[in-house]
Amino acid sequence: MTENKRPAYEPAARLLERTHYDPHMHRPVATMAGSALVLLRVVAGVFHLIALALQWPELVDASDTVVDGESLGPAATSLGLVLVFVIGIVALAVEALLALLIYRGLNWPRVVVMGFAVVSISISFGAWWVQDQEITINTTFVTLALDILVLLALSSRDAAAYARRSEGR
Amino acid sequence: MSEVEDDRTARRRARRYSRGVALDWFFFIFAGLASVWLAYLSFTESFRIGWWGLLAAILFWALLAYLVLPRLHRILTTIYVPEYFIGRARTSDGLLGDPVNLALNGEAEQIHTALREAHWTKADPVTLASSWRIIASTLSRRSYHEAPVSPLFLFGRQQDFAYQQEVDGNPAQRHHVRFWRCPDEWMLPGGIRVDWLAAGTFDTSVGLSLFTLQVTHKIDADTDIERNHIIATMTAADPRITVTVVRDFSTGYHARNGGGDSIRTDGDLPIVDVRRVVGMSPPLPTHSAEAT
Repeated sequence: MTENKRPAYEPAARLLERTHYDPHMHRPVATMAGSALVLLRVVAGVFHLIALALQWPELVDASDTVVDGESLGPAATSLGLVLVFVIGIVALAVEALLALLIYRGLNWPRVVVMGFAVVSISISFGAWWVQDQEITINTTFVTLALDILVLLALSSRDAAAYARRSEGR
Repeated sequence: MSEVEDDRTARRRARRYSRGVALDWFFFIFAGLASVWLAYLSFTESFRIGWWGLLAAILFWALLAYLVLPRLHRILTTIYVPEYFIGRARTSDGLLGDPVNLALNGEAEQIHTALREAHWTKADPVTLASSWRIIASTLSRRSYHEAPVSPLFLFGRQQDFAYQQEVDGNPAQRHHVRFWRCPDEWMLPGGIRVDWLAAGTFDTSVGLSLFTLQVTHKIDADTDIERNHIIATMTAADPRITVTVVRDFSTGYHARNGGGDSIRTDGDLPIVDVRRVVGMSPPLPTHSAEAT
């Protein structure tokens, strides 16, 4: 008699198997936490911009930018401020949009955000390890912690399965 | 869709593994290593900032217990703990969990009916709402009979359902048993076919897990008492339920569960037959959905 029997056998490729196809999956806590942390990162960025704006005159005085032997006037200084602000706001808006898309359960924004987090963490680690740059609460600890927490949340199996819930069929 | 595209999707489907999943694994492991660094940084920082360091130390513990150690366990147990049946459920971090000490034959409906008649309460699934209810009921000291149980995994799947019995006046103690439907055509070691496997344990108190340092329920080391309690309540409530026993099925599983508690057992595996129990009558169609 030939009965069907299920063997206990696990090939190594099984680790790289696709996640389950489950389009009706509930949004896991990891995905919610991940997008919330990305938004917190945006809030931290807004505070950075405000702090920068308040310190801008001092920063300009300190550096005393000289181009072609002439000190830059107040017009150029305020232009620089506007430029930095525009770039900063656009970057933060894009980041907030990515947070929203992650919450909606798309995969590519999750991968993009994790990619940026890996680059940012690697740069911080390099500076800390090689150049002995201090990482304290007063300097970059909070943003680094947020980056790592974002990466932890979004790389978790729940978050990955949710982002890939419509794949594989 | 063009032919080239068709061909490409077909080839992608034929490939057993996925590049996206490989990338996920890279992020998974990178995050694990980065979190170790973060734990180190917050540890050294907690010495530097005086009294605030106390708060930082608590944060350090939370980070270690709920993010770093689970991630490291998840990575390592994926490598060294086999996925096939070894008589133990696994925690969501991949660690060995409660011992499988009960088998059943019958449909889900019949098990639900049998347990309900034996005064067991079905546990709610873990959701934000039920988690909030646990906190609210703990603070207001009201009892929450359907409190969810933590997920344990067998056959790579979370339990299909779980039942519990509260111990009067003590929120730290409760009887609970988790059920998994066996895969089709799967046999127990020794060649016996059963429909369901279950793991019943008794929570004795709240404590710290040895492996992850998380706050968790400690279970009674003598898992046989709970196993016999489940069978006694079921057979007392419905005489049509019969029990056969596989002697010394798991003798040799003298070990620890996922929380680091030691486990003692005589190794017997009772097989509970509920096939003669009449399941819930059809007027409640929502219940049949749980059977899957």
